[in-house]
Amino acid sequence: MGNQGESNSGMDEPERKIGDVLLKVDNISLSFGGVKALSKVSFDIREHEIRAIIGPNGAGKSSMLNVINGFYHPQEGTITYQGQVRQQMRPHDAAKQGIARTFQNIALFKGMSTLDNIMTGRLLKMRRNILWQALYIGPARKEEMEHREVVEKVIDFLEIQAIRKTPVGRLPYGLQKRVELGRALAMEPTLLLLDEPMAGMNVEEKEDMCRFILDVNDEFGTTIALIEHDMSVVMDLSDRVVVLDYGELLADGSADEVRNNQTVIDAYLGVSHDDVNTVDPAA
Amino acid sequence: MAFLFFMETVISGLLTGVMYSLVAIGFVLIFKASGVFNFAQGVLALFAGLTLVGLMENFGLPAWLAIIATIGVMIVLAWLIELLILRHLVNQEHIILFMATLGLAYILEGFGDIIWGSDVKVLDIGLPQGASDFLLDGYGLYVEKLEIVAAAIATILVIVLAIFFQKTRIGRALRAVADNHQAALSIGISLRTIWITVWSVAGVVALVAGVMWGSKSGIQFSLSLIALKALPVLILGGFTSIPGAIVGGLIIGVGEKVAEVYLGPFVGGAIENWFAYMLALVFLMFRPQGLFGDKIIERV
Repeated sequence: MGNQGESNSGMDEPERKIGDVLLKVDNISLSFGGVKALSKVSFDIREHEIRAIIGPNGAGKSSMLNVINGFYHPQEGTITYQGQVRQQMRPHDAAKQGIARTFQNIALFKGMSTLDNIMTGRLLKMRRNILWQALYIGPARKEEMEHREVVEKVIDFLEIQAIRKTPVGRLPYGLQKRVELGRALAMEPTLLLLDEPMAGMNVEEKEDMCRFILDVNDEFGTTIALIEHDMSVVMDLSDRVVVLDYGELLADGSADEVRNNQTVIDAYLGVSHDDVNTVDPAA
Repeated sequence: MAFLFFMETVISGLLTGVMYSLVAIGFVLIFKASGVFNFAQGVLALFAGLTLVGLMENFGLPAWLAIIATIGVMIVLAWLIELLILRHLVNQEHIILFMATLGLAYILEGFGDIIWGSDVKVLDIGLPQGASDFLLDGYGLYVEKLEIVAAAIATILVIVLAIFFQKTRIGRALRAVADNHQAALSIGISLRTIWITVWSVAGVVALVAGVMWGSKSGIQFSLSLIALKALPVLILGGFTSIPGAIVGGLIIGVGEKVAEVYLGPFVGGAIENWFAYMLALVFLMFRPQGLFGDKIIERV
C-alpha cells in the first residue's frame, strides 16, 4: 500500500458514500517473456468510488485492467474481489461477478446495431432454458421484454436513441465509445473498468462522457476504475488516483496529493528518464 | 412430354441442391462462430461417414446405435479440436485459424484412412432406395426415394438449426464471438462453450451430409471434395446465412442440372463440373456478400 493512500482514506467526499474495499490487488507481478509489465503492484478500490489509474505510456495501466478482468494472468500476487482471494481471474467469472469493462481500442461487434450490441450485455442475465427461448413463448418472451426494457433505459441514459438501429461500424468514434459504455452498463456491473474512455474525443464529447461517468457513479452507485491521460478530467472525476510508472506503483492518494507529489511530477516531466509526456500534471 | 422432362430435371437438380446445402450449412455454422472458412467440413462429413460404416461393419452395431455412437464421436472430436487447436489460437488473425482447419482436414483424412481403410464402402442404414412409385405412377415423374428422404431430413434439420441459432441466446453469443473475441469475453461469453457447441453441431450436420451422400454413392474419399462444391454455394447464399446456404444450394443444384441438359449438347457437355464456379464468379463481381449475407461495413 502506498502510504499516501492510507493517510487519506478518511477524506471521502461528502456527497458520495465510499464504502469498504471492493477489490484489492496485492503484490501483482506480470511479465511477458523477459519484459516486466507490472512488478509488485498493490492498491485497492473501494465501493462506490471513482478510482483513476494514471501514468506515462507503457506504465502498465492497461495490463493492470487486464489482470483485474482476467485477460492476463499475473505470475505473482493475489486479487481479492468481494472478499474472495484469487491467484487470477477468468474473464467469464469476472463478468459473472459483475466486472464490466470498455477497451482502449473500442471492441464492439461492428456488424451489429447499437441496440444489439447493448443487448449482448444482457446475455449473462438470461436465465431461461434455450428450449423456451427457441419457442419464444411464455416466460422466455416475457424475459426478453424485460431485458429489452433495461437496454432501452441504458439507451435513454446515454442519449443515443437516434442511432439505435445503426450498425456500429458506421458510427463516429465518439459515439462508438458511448455504445461500448452502454454495453458495459447493460451488464449492471458492480465494478466498471474504463480504459481511456475519452481518448480521441473532442471537448464537447469529453464533457458528455464525464457527465455520464459521474451520473453512473451517482445514480447506480457503480464503482469505477478508469485509465485516462487528460489530467483535468482525472482531477475532476476521481476520488483517488493510482500512479504507475515502468510497471511500478509510484504514488497512491487523492487527486491533490498526487498532483503535488514530486516523484509523480518527475516521472511525467522526465527527470529520471527522457519519456517526456504531453500531459501536464499541474493542469 | 418435354415439360415433364424439364420438371424431372428441375426436381433432380433441387434434390442434388439439398445435398449441397447440407454441406454448406456446416460451413455457415463454423463461419458464424469464428469468421473462418472451415476447410475441414468436407472431411468431417467423410470422417463421420467412415466412422458410421466402420462401427456397423466391424462391431456389428445396428444402424440406430451406430448413429448415436457416431454423434458421440463427433462431439468428442469437437471437444478435442477446441482443446488442441482453437484454444491456442484465440485472438489470432482469421487466416491463421483457416490454416489450422486446413491442417485439421489432412489429419482427419489420414486418421480415417489408418483406422477404417481407404476402400469405397457401401453405406446401408435402411433408407429407402429406388424410384418413388407414387410419383412415377401418378405423374410419370422419375424421382429417387432417397432424394426425397434427404430433402425431408434437410428441411427438419434446417428448421431446428434456424430456431436454435436465431431465437436463443446462443445465437446472439455466436454472432458476438465471430465479431470480436475480446469483447465477447468481456461480456462473459465462454469461448470454450461456444466453440465446442458449434463444432459439435457442425459435426452432426456433417454426419447427416455424410449419410446422405454415402447412401447415394458410397463412402469414399472423394466425399471430402464436395467441400469444394459448397464454396460456390456459400458465395451465392452468403457465408453467414443458413437460409442463404439452402437457397444457394438449390440454385446451384438446379442451375447446373438444367445447364447440363439444355446447354450441354452445344458446348460438348460437362457443364455440371464448372457451372457452379462460373455462377459464383458472377456473384463475386456484383454482390460479394451473397444473397443473404451480412453487409460488409468498413468505415474509412
